Amino acid sequence: MSSSFDQIIVSEEWESTDLSMLETLDHVLNRGLVIAGEITISVADIDLIFIGLNVLVSSVETANEVLRKRQTE
Amino acid sequence: MKLYAYCLVEDPDAFDASTRGISGATVRLLQIDELAVLVTDFNADTIAVTRENALDHAAVVRSVLDRTTPLPFRFGTLVTEQQLRSYISARKPALQTRFAHVRGCVEMSVKVIRELSDEIKTQSRDEITTGTSFLEEKRREILGSEQKTAEAREIETWLHEQVGGLIRDEQVTIRPSEKLVLAAAHLVERDKIGQYKEKTAAARKNRPELHFLFSGPWPPYSFANIELEFKTQFGVS
Repeated sequence: MSSSFDQIIVSEEWESTDLSMLETLDHVLNRGLVIAGEITISVADIDLIFIGLNVLVSSVETANEVLRKRQTE
Repeated sequence: MKLYAYCLVEDPDAFDASTRGISGATVRLLQIDELAVLVTDFNADTIAVTRENALDHAAVVRSVLDRTTPLPFRFGTLVTEQQLRSYISARKPALQTRFAHVRGCVEMSVKVIRELSDEIKTQSRDEITTGTSFLEEKRREILGSEQKTAEAREIETWLHEQVGGLIRDEQVTIRPSEKLVLAAAHLVERDKIGQYKEKTAAARKNRPELHFLFSGPWPPYSFANIELEFKTQFGVS
């Protein structure tokens, strides 16, 4: 579906497809309304926080790898 | 039978009935008081945290963004209809306040990545051979930490100065000791997105020592939560 709000991912040199996915996961897994007090959600949150952190670390590590390559070129 | 909840909307007409949700499931609109929730009927007690499911969640929330600004639920919100009704009825004033805050806006995301300065990297590699050098190393660590915090604060202030006139609200997290030094979410009115993009593009060129990741527009994930929700639920202060 075309959209007047087509999403943009702007970076210097990283693969926009990967970043789009990482940014989406960062938003969906780490943010948003939480119905607190529900056991299902509390249990899920433990996993989500863990995965969210991994996503963040992965994105930073990917970024740094690109930077290292650029410096050696 | 449980419900998987995607987001709250004020305007039911923003919903497209052809929208598909988690694993291609049908999405329907559940009207609760003056608000509506996009939900999928769900037969399991848990939902798998997979890339596909997370992206499906994001797609449903995003499907209404052209026509209205939703309040997204976090991925994994699986409740009974009664629980959902109780949640909304009990927090209706707070939710309406949230809607008023984000109405007409979208979220823009900025992440700033910084390489450690040569001075800090050199200091941290020094060998520790004596008690004196140990204390000197500790002193350098403290000074380095203070320097990184000051640098992060400076970046935070600088970024705010660049976009401050174009945003309604912001959520900023600084991590002075990490490579991802700053993550900011900006709440931007829709008619100011063009200006925002121009401003951030120009600003980026003025800081060649930093690396930026801009993304958006997003539904306002970072501005959806009701303040003090955790304290209200658990009495934690």
